[in-house]
Amino acid sequence: MKLTYHLAALPKGGNSVQEYEDAAWPPRSGCVATPLFRAAVADGATETSFAALWARLLVRAYCKGRLRSSQRGIQSLRPLWLRSVADRPLPWYAEEKVRQGAFSTLLGLTLSEHGWEASAAGDSCLFHVRGEACLTAFPLRQSNEFSNRPVLLSSRPHGSGTDTIQGEGTWEGGDNFFLLTDALAAWALGQAEGGRPPWETLGRLVQCPEGFAAFVAEERCADRMRNDDVTLLLLRVE
Amino acid sequence: MAYNAEISRNNPSCFLFLIDQSGSMDDHFASGESSRKKADGVADAINRLLQNLVIKCAKSEGVRDYYDVGVIGYGQKVGSAFGGTLAGRHLVPISDIADNPERVEERSRKIDDGAGGLLEQTVKFPIWFSPVARGGTPMVEALGRAGDILSAWIASHQGSFPPIVINITDGESTDGDPQAAATSLRDLATDDGPVLLFNLHLSSQQGAPIEFPHDESGLPDQYARLLFQMSSELPAYMREVAQGEGYEAGQGARGFAFNADLVSVIRFLDIGTRPSNLR
Repeated sequence: MKLTYHLAALPKGGNSVQEYEDAAWPPRSGCVATPLFRAAVADGATETSFAALWARLLVRAYCKGRLRSSQRGIQSLRPLWLRSVADRPLPWYAEEKVRQGAFSTLLGLTLSEHGWEASAAGDSCLFHVRGEACLTAFPLRQSNEFSNRPVLLSSRPHGSGTDTIQGEGTWEGGDNFFLLTDALAAWALGQAEGGRPPWETLGRLVQCPEGFAAFVAEERCADRMRNDDVTLLLLRVE
Repeated sequence: MAYNAEISRNNPSCFLFLIDQSGSMDDHFASGESSRKKADGVADAINRLLQNLVIKCAKSEGVRDYYDVGVIGYGQKVGSAFGGTLAGRHLVPISDIADNPERVEERSRKIDDGAGGLLEQTVKFPIWFSPVARGGTPMVEALGRAGDILSAWIASHQGSFPPIVINITDGESTDGDPQAAATSLRDLATDDGPVLLFNLHLSSQQGAPIEFPHDESGLPDQYARLLFQMSSELPAYMREVAQGEGYEAGQGARGFAFNADLVSVIRFLDIGTRPSNLR
């Protein structure tokens, strides 16, 4: 199985690159020949602290195969997060934030020669696309399913559950898998619902950082895309 | 559409609390927390609200200045009610509030241990505002002072989400009818909409709490009715949030509450609860 993968990512308009709180793995574009490949995106919740770190821990753990049992895997990540954020004296408000924990979505995709499997918590979405036809949208299927309260994985035991939704299918050579965080996923579904399949456009823009940034700025400005961190990971399988 | 400006560090919003510090605030609550003095309950609520606002704005790198916040007391005098290094200041960026409590107490609280039990934990409880109960109730002067402060703020924040003013009182103005001053305050506006004035009435009258009513017919006395009339209608999104939390808050609901739990009421007036609006 031969794969090429491309990553494009942007912070919210008005924020710096350091304030970007999504995460993706692999963390850069590339290509590989392998019998098994994992990729993931995650969206750290804005209102929590240290969410980018939690999102990064989740995508990396998924891609290393450590979340095959999501419950045990996530439980084992929590001490790592806590050790990283509470390793020094913190002001009173940061202590409270650590107590509350960080929250993130997670979308993982495993490709093998037998097919694909996906695992999702929250509203980061996978689109399996052949040509301009979207064969599967997972876990959300329509643009009106997005809300401000998605399911999130917590970095603290009291925060929330560890349940993920599973999906699977088969692929053919030349198929594309788009992994998108919510603002871009909602935009893409809206375009598709309006009879304007966005996949060719996204496939082109993901390879051109300047073009991608200009496109996102224009869609935000026209109020067609929510101003949020944006992550697009595209995998093409041969 | 009004009340949809994005709240950001370049485009912050503003909360101004007006706190009745008259001698009658030394009385006890009529219901609910009847063992406590009103002034103590209000001080505790304001400190919790400031904590919640700071925590909402706290990110990994520190506290982001999404809000300017003021606390004006009115009783023996009208002026800033902050203690410590913030004393005398009217509107303070939220990061300054975070870093400058008058003191930090330690309190214990029970938390879920994740395994069905409870753990007792010591947490820091910062204090910016102490209870005071002295003098009359110069509400007209307090609303006028709020108008001066917010006129100046709006002049330099015309594109911002409009300021929210929360007046907490036991009711009876002693320096005249406050209606005109309240109307002048509500007439101030940014490009995103007029100032929102909410009134929280802590009456000594017995009676079940009333939150966000849409008419005054069920209110128990003239002071409650006057405060209701002075209150802004809740914008649509606030009604949605309030309804989501079980309040009726129908069409025409006002930002008024009678003998209600202060922290839970104000939580819904706090637009920062909408993460999509903050960056």
